[in-house]
Amino acid sequence: MLTAREVHRHFEGMRAVDGVSIDVLPGRITGLIGPNGAGKSTFLAVLAGTLPASSGNIVFEAEDITALPAYKRARRGLVRTFQLPSEFAQLTVLENLLVAAPGNRGESLLGALLGKRYWLPDERRLVERARRLLNRFGMSAKESDYAGTLSGGQKRIVEIMRALMLRPRVLLLDEPMAGVHPSIVDEIATYLESLREEGLTILMVEHELHMVERLCDPVIVMAQGKIIGQGSMTMLRRQREIVDAYLVG
Amino acid sequence: MNYYVETILVYAGVDIIACLALNLQFGVSGIVNFSFIVFQAAGAYTAAVLSMPPDTASGMSFQHYVLGLQLPFPIPWLGGALVGGLLAIPVGVLLLRRLRSDYQAIALLVLSVIVNTVITNYRPLFNGAAGLSVIPPPLSERIDPYTATYQYLYVGITFVCCLLVLFVANRIVNSPYGRTLRAMREHELAASALGKNLVALKMTVFVVGGIIAGLSGAILVGFISYWAPITWLYPETIVLFAAIIVGGRGNNLGAILGGLLVPLGFEEITRFIPTGFGPPGLGPAIQWVAIGLLIIGFLWFRPKGVLPEPRRVFNEAGIEESPFMEVRAS
Repeated sequence: MLTAREVHRHFEGMRAVDGVSIDVLPGRITGLIGPNGAGKSTFLAVLAGTLPASSGNIVFEAEDITALPAYKRARRGLVRTFQLPSEFAQLTVLENLLVAAPGNRGESLLGALLGKRYWLPDERRLVERARRLLNRFGMSAKESDYAGTLSGGQKRIVEIMRALMLRPRVLLLDEPMAGVHPSIVDEIATYLESLREEGLTILMVEHELHMVERLCDPVIVMAQGKIIGQGSMTMLRRQREIVDAYLVG
Repeated sequence: MNYYVETILVYAGVDIIACLALNLQFGVSGIVNFSFIVFQAAGAYTAAVLSMPPDTASGMSFQHYVLGLQLPFPIPWLGGALVGGLLAIPVGVLLLRRLRSDYQAIALLVLSVIVNTVITNYRPLFNGAAGLSVIPPPLSERIDPYTATYQYLYVGITFVCCLLVLFVANRIVNSPYGRTLRAMREHELAASALGKNLVALKMTVFVVGGIIAGLSGAILVGFISYWAPITWLYPETIVLFAAIIVGGRGNNLGAILGGLLVPLGFEEITRFIPTGFGPPGLGPAIQWVAIGLLIIGFLWFRPKGVLPEPRRVFNEAGIEESPFMEVRAS
């Protein structure tokens, strides 16, 4: 579904990602773990097109997308979230979702100038869809709140909902549980499980190992820009060098 | 109509149009266009040389300029708007595509200084530092510009232009396109990761802002019949930024209020500062200090301005409940 071959990303000689090759399997949550500075988030950014690869190839649904900018990858269904909260703070929660939704005729300058009659049917359809999503994620009461006023966990949920508005084929999540209250961590995990059951493919960078164990199979371990192991968490725990590099701490 | 009142009304109209344009770029989209005044100047110069006779014509030889096509109204104004928009294309391609937003702001500021310096020192284009004068007022061949009728007419045309620009600005701001621009302002990287083409978004709003800025320059030059580099130095852009910050960035009504309060209000209020003391030039200096203090004060105590951007709330039927919407829920 999504494959990366020999992907490198260098920053003036520093090899943040050093020849990484992976296959993201459809309908699963693939975990990407490793110590701080391992290159996980950089690799995710390269996959999403936020950062260009120094070399290597990325293929998404049989198309080489290595040279495509981020917005074109997102339009093809490869959508990412960010390590730090990236909500549109001065937009309401509902607006955050509506921004992401494609297929609104009022989203072009010409469409906007033609007026509300031209794009209102699209808008109403998308509002309805966004409200269904808000309802599913228990955020309906926050619909008209500014996204910037939400708690850290709620912002994470908004980001996931926002990504889902694009109907992604593969979702790239960068530490969706970082800095989130434990009660919401469990909530997010439940949502991710339900998305997996619906067939959504997810690649997730995460430090909460018990959540990785609960959600992810396979799990890929990175250290110093390279992959040092992959398999189930149970299997990885048996490998000495991985335990030394990351799992003990 | 009293000439003073006419002047105030036309200046108010020009400032409102300029503020609406800058609000689209800065307030809604987050583009810190420190070269805004260049686009207004481009519109003014274009309107001037399209309406003036050739510089070789009798009585005009004291100044040198290009074109001199002596075209009838409204072609010079349309030309001014068009050139403002066309100028935005190369500037946008050069500065908005690759630079990060803070560097964009610096580059645009430098551009403003460079363009002013070039126009000041290159006389064949627009008569250099002396600038263009005796620019024919619009329709002056049909109506005597020194009559009350003409004054009403000019104020009326300016008012119609204000309404037209407000209509366009409202359509943009209150649409999904406007929402995407606001998202880009809030978090460029996230907007890009959600499939938004930032370059296209920035370019379109930059060109639209350039067109409106050009129009505002054309209206102003038609009224004052004079345009020179001294009238569009880069601090003039800062005054417009102050207007947006004071009025309320992202809100068209805020831009209008800012346009009335800052460029116009300050010009008029500071006129009453006593001039009989201190060194020469103290009055204008105090004006600039006051503008600076106003920006700092608002950013510190009321960063969203007098009329903040409205919260967008949707009703049960999925329709946004917002002022100035053309279509109501059925």
